[in-house]
Amino acid sequence: MVDGAFPAVIRARSFTGATLLFQPLLSEAASFSRLEILLLVLGILASLGLFLWRFAPILRTILRSRKDPSFSLHPLGRRAWDFFWEILCQAKVIRQRPLPGLAHAFVFWGFLAFALVSLNHLANGFNLGFLPPASPIGNFYFLFAAAWALLVAISITGLFIRRFFVRPLWLGRKVSYESGVIALLIFLLMATYLAAFFVPEGGAAVKTLWWTHTLTLLIFLPLIPHTKHLHLVLSPLTVFLKNDGFSRIPPLQGDEDFGLVAGKDVTQIVSLQTYSCVECGRCTEHCPAANTGKLLNPKEIILGLRSYLNEFGPASETPLLTEARISSPDNPPAKYLSMEAAFECTTCGGCEFQCPVGIQHLPILIGLRRGATNTGAWEDNYGTKLFLALEKNGNALGLSATERDKFIQKQAFPIFDGTQEYCLWLGCMGGYDPKGREIIADFARVMQHLGTTFGVLKKEKCTGDPARRLGNDLVFQTLAESGLKTFETAKVQKIVAICPHCVRTIATDWREFGIAPEIEHHSEFMARHRDHLPKQQGESIVYHDPCYLGRYRNVYEEPRAVVRQSGSLVEAPRSHERSFCCGAGGGLAFLGEEKGERVSHVRAKELAGTGAQVVGTACPFCNTMFRDALTAVSEAPPQLLDIAQLTARALPASQPQSSGGAQ
Amino acid sequence: MSGVLVVMEQRNGAWNRMSFEALAAGQQLAAKLGTECSAAVLGSGIDSLASELASKKLTKVYAVQHDLLKTYTADGYVAALEQLLKQTSADYVLLPHTYQVRDFAPALATRFKQVLISDVIAIRHDSEGTTSPVFVRQLLQGKLNADYRHTATGPCFVSVQAGTFRAEAVEDGAAAIEAFAPQLSAEQIRSKPGEPFRESAQTVDLSAAPVIVSVGRGIGEQDNLGIVEELSKALGAELAASRPICDNGWLPMERQVGSSGQTVSPKLYLAIGISGAIQHLVGMKASKAVIAINKDENAPIFEVADYGVVGDLFEIVPELTKAVQAAKA
Amino acid sequence: MKIVVAIKQVPERDAPIHIASNGKWIEDGDLNYTINEPDAYALEEALQLKEKTGTGEVVVVSAGPERVQSTLREALAKGADRAIHVEAVDLSSRDTLGVAQVLADAIKAESPDLILTGLQSDDLGLGQTGVVLAELLGIPHATIIMQVEPVDGGLKVKRELEDGWFQHVEMPLPALLTIQSGGNKLRYATLMGIKKAKTKEMKTVTASPAAGTPAIALERVYLPEKQKKTEMLTGSPAEVATKIVEKLKFEVRVL
Repeated sequence: MVDGAFPAVIRARSFTGATLLFQPLLSEAASFSRLEILLLVLGILASLGLFLWRFAPILRTILRSRKDPSFSLHPLGRRAWDFFWEILCQAKVIRQRPLPGLAHAFVFWGFLAFALVSLNHLANGFNLGFLPPASPIGNFYFLFAAAWALLVAISITGLFIRRFFVRPLWLGRKVSYESGVIALLIFLLMATYLAAFFVPEGGAAVKTLWWTHTLTLLIFLPLIPHTKHLHLVLSPLTVFLKNDGFSRIPPLQGDEDFGLVAGKDVTQIVSLQTYSCVECGRCTEHCPAANTGKLLNPKEIILGLRSYLNEFGPASETPLLTEARISSPDNPPAKYLSMEAAFECTTCGGCEFQCPVGIQHLPILIGLRRGATNTGAWEDNYGTKLFLALEKNGNALGLSATERDKFIQKQAFPIFDGTQEYCLWLGCMGGYDPKGREIIADFARVMQHLGTTFGVLKKEKCTGDPARRLGNDLVFQTLAESGLKTFETAKVQKIVAICPHCVRTIATDWREFGIAPEIEHHSEFMARHRDHLPKQQGESIVYHDPCYLGRYRNVYEEPRAVVRQSGSLVEAPRSHERSFCCGAGGGLAFLGEEKGERVSHVRAKELAGTGAQVVGTACPFCNTMFRDALTAVSEAPPQLLDIAQLTARALPASQPQSSGGAQ
Repeated sequence: MSGVLVVMEQRNGAWNRMSFEALAAGQQLAAKLGTECSAAVLGSGIDSLASELASKKLTKVYAVQHDLLKTYTADGYVAALEQLLKQTSADYVLLPHTYQVRDFAPALATRFKQVLISDVIAIRHDSEGTTSPVFVRQLLQGKLNADYRHTATGPCFVSVQAGTFRAEAVEDGAAAIEAFAPQLSAEQIRSKPGEPFRESAQTVDLSAAPVIVSVGRGIGEQDNLGIVEELSKALGAELAASRPICDNGWLPMERQVGSSGQTVSPKLYLAIGISGAIQHLVGMKASKAVIAINKDENAPIFEVADYGVVGDLFEIVPELTKAVQAAKA
Repeated sequence: MKIVVAIKQVPERDAPIHIASNGKWIEDGDLNYTINEPDAYALEEALQLKEKTGTGEVVVVSAGPERVQSTLREALAKGADRAIHVEAVDLSSRDTLGVAQVLADAIKAESPDLILTGLQSDDLGLGQTGVVLAELLGIPHATIIMQVEPVDGGLKVKRELEDGWFQHVEMPLPALLTIQSGGNKLRYATLMGIKKAKTKEMKTVTASPAAGTPAIALERVYLPEKQKKTEMLTGSPAEVATKIVEKLKFEVRVL
């Protein structure tokens, strides 16, 4: 369509004009009178003034927010790349929502192309035009911009139709009329530009077009700070300045920092991020909580934070999470900024991964939880039980360490003494959960088969993952420090674990307190040795990407390589970085019954729906969630096996048997 | 007298059955030591109880009566028993380890500069030629046993754990009843006890249930729940379930045991058709005794069970109900 | 109301059990110590009483070597206002009376309105220190308490009796109560609490030497013969049922 329309325009004017130039030519308005120039100056001043009048308070809020001492511009290379890739190339925008993403990219690139055109356009108003349409450069550039103008016009029309007629759920139930006005203005800008190719040079028509275009521009500018179109100004900065690392939880600063308790705790980066939100709803679209009837809606958390900052300011002592504000009908976002919502997050990271404007939801959500938990404001029977279990027993299940000892004895696992290559980390699930124990036992068989030496720690405590995600810094720090000491005393060099939560917490979160030995997930270990693992035929296996292995650790192919070794790989409808959570993360496995539909059931339905014979998991928490869910959603549920079990079942049976347990 | 004195416990004219276990312990200790055994009962209007004791093999039965002893108070009991003990000067004072004894006996021992050897699970006389017995207690929640010996002069106070001695072992005989009227005044009694009451059972409180019969996926379908309900009724137990049962709506959510339900610590947890997922185990691991019936011999529930039965619950449960009913009849 | 909570520091519940060379206790080199759980409930009750009335002070007292300070510090973090450490290194050679005397000396100086403690300890489990303490201080007591309610001139408490029976008891102040575990919900320690605890007062007093010889002596400890092991019952359904009933009667003792 686009390609068809453009040559027609060229043909329309191709008989006139100079021979060296491409046709047609842009018509420019004739010289401007003093009165016109005065009007233009006044217009520009008014527009700029209005823009600043609205933008200044926002800027002030951001600048007056707390400085984050842990912020550092390094690594600059990563920042430059993110800027290039996510902003200039619009890669994230396109990749995660191809059609609207491409439309948005065209509008964005069109705007970039239009920068020079608009500058020249305004310069013309002062009789200072610097790009004559008849010059070779001018001729080329204006045609180039015309092509973009056409793409922008088509794209914005498409986006308009999507927003007002298709109305995807994620954009919110309330129709945003501002967006309509903005779309109209953009369309008008493009239309008035393109029309100038079809009117005679120097006439009244071209003057009218010029003024219409100019007025549109001048109206457009002050609208930016008032609407979500603020992202035009802020998001390039937000993407460039976002904190390094996925779900990076900043260290607490000093004795008065307990996380996001009140406005005074909101850092400049967080503040900048909340004002950058473009309300596209991608975070909500991928949120397991928002999709199963819970209160939590990540977009509304960001908007709630923004409306809090607007209402109370960045120095406020008013608590961020308060049930009292929920009842206020004139402040609906407060509902979403509630204790209940904050503690419904599974920390799957779908939101943060998806966000096209660089908002980092997890540090904010976990920050809110830290504020509530570190001050004792969060009261939850299950949460308290979990924390007390971690305090007293050092494992999330509240079981006695002797249970783990018994399991180690039964399996005859060697104790790590520094002579073995790997320290095999059991974790809470591997050490205590019957199903997790089967996985560990099977993985141990795989290691034995490969001739890899390993030992288990005599004593092991939880990595602190659930405490970390639920914002209990006291328990987390205690466990992290004790874990680091254990590794140091045992002189561990390399660790391998079956639980992606353990891997992430040890490798990344512990860094605040020291350097842990190198750790890898068993999928990475097995993928590296896949040539020495038995090749199996037949069974179809659907692989479920655990959040903490995929989005958190960027490990997608290794477990798939292991699955392919054990059968034929089937992809789930949502896979790789778009994988849907099992519902266990963020400490939620320990928090009792969920509201609404169970996350695990939604995912189990998807997995069972693929018709695969086996569901392959790579995380003991996913495994335990699906164990109940698969039987609940399917009459003849597929078998549920960890990738270690998929591999071990084809090993020669001479090795010690696994711990046994009910399937 | 010297010898052994057993302090019996009654409330409103009804014995606390554990008293007879203590009485058996007292008789056996006295026999070993070659001394005599007497018993005391406190209260007001307890003549019939005292006569009942008079038919046991005892030297004397002390009927300690006073209006102020009608309802139990620590102050009243301590004062009355202090006077009785001063008069009788028993070497050993045995008590059942009941909630009431735990309330007053330590204070009573203190009056004599003694310390109660509480919650004793065995009395041993191992060394020849010495008359001082060894009292066995449990430490660290039963993970360790300890031998205690009385080392001071003066009465030795001992309370015995429920079930250590068998009430049926009490030997019959004849004893003289001696009335003892302690000197008590109302000002001495500082606390005002109310009438004992039971909580009205509005909601299911599994956490307080002494016996729980819990059912899992092995039951197959809702219509089969009946056999488990009957067993539960026969045992006087609360009915509970693992998560899948409550998920299916076969039993209300409030009966769910496990990490997303209730945490329980009954004397007996009877797990029927429960394989023992970790979410379930964490909810019932504090049970004193666990009996598991499951058809899968590898079910993890057997790891935490004291007694296990591998078999078909549809055959075993009805038989068990019958056997329990017969035992109770 | 000024409330004193007497706290004991005990080995963690899953402590490794190795008999010490003197045969009188377990090896304590590797032991981690924690608050005696019933005492944690006593502390919780005290904190809730203070929160309910909005006034008052909660003072925690613990006797033992220097290590008990960590447990006191935790109690301060959970919300206690002050702590008193009664330094005594010879507690294991004192009997209940001796230990209670040491606590009584320290508490008398505080003249509290109410003393709370757990109903028994996780390690020795004698369940007497509270009652003996009340006797030594000459104040009334009540044990195994589920609820405490301040009333005119004293307290109304809910006492647990056996077999699901309860009883209300009214008593004047000062008084001592031993608190039943599980009656309240414990709170978790918070970072804010730990930081605040650093500024709270921890006083150390030295215990006076033991007055006499103990009335009872622990001679030796040993592992129980019967370790927990799953006993499989086999036979026909009727035979199995009979075996289970036997166990219910004689082992589990619920019939």
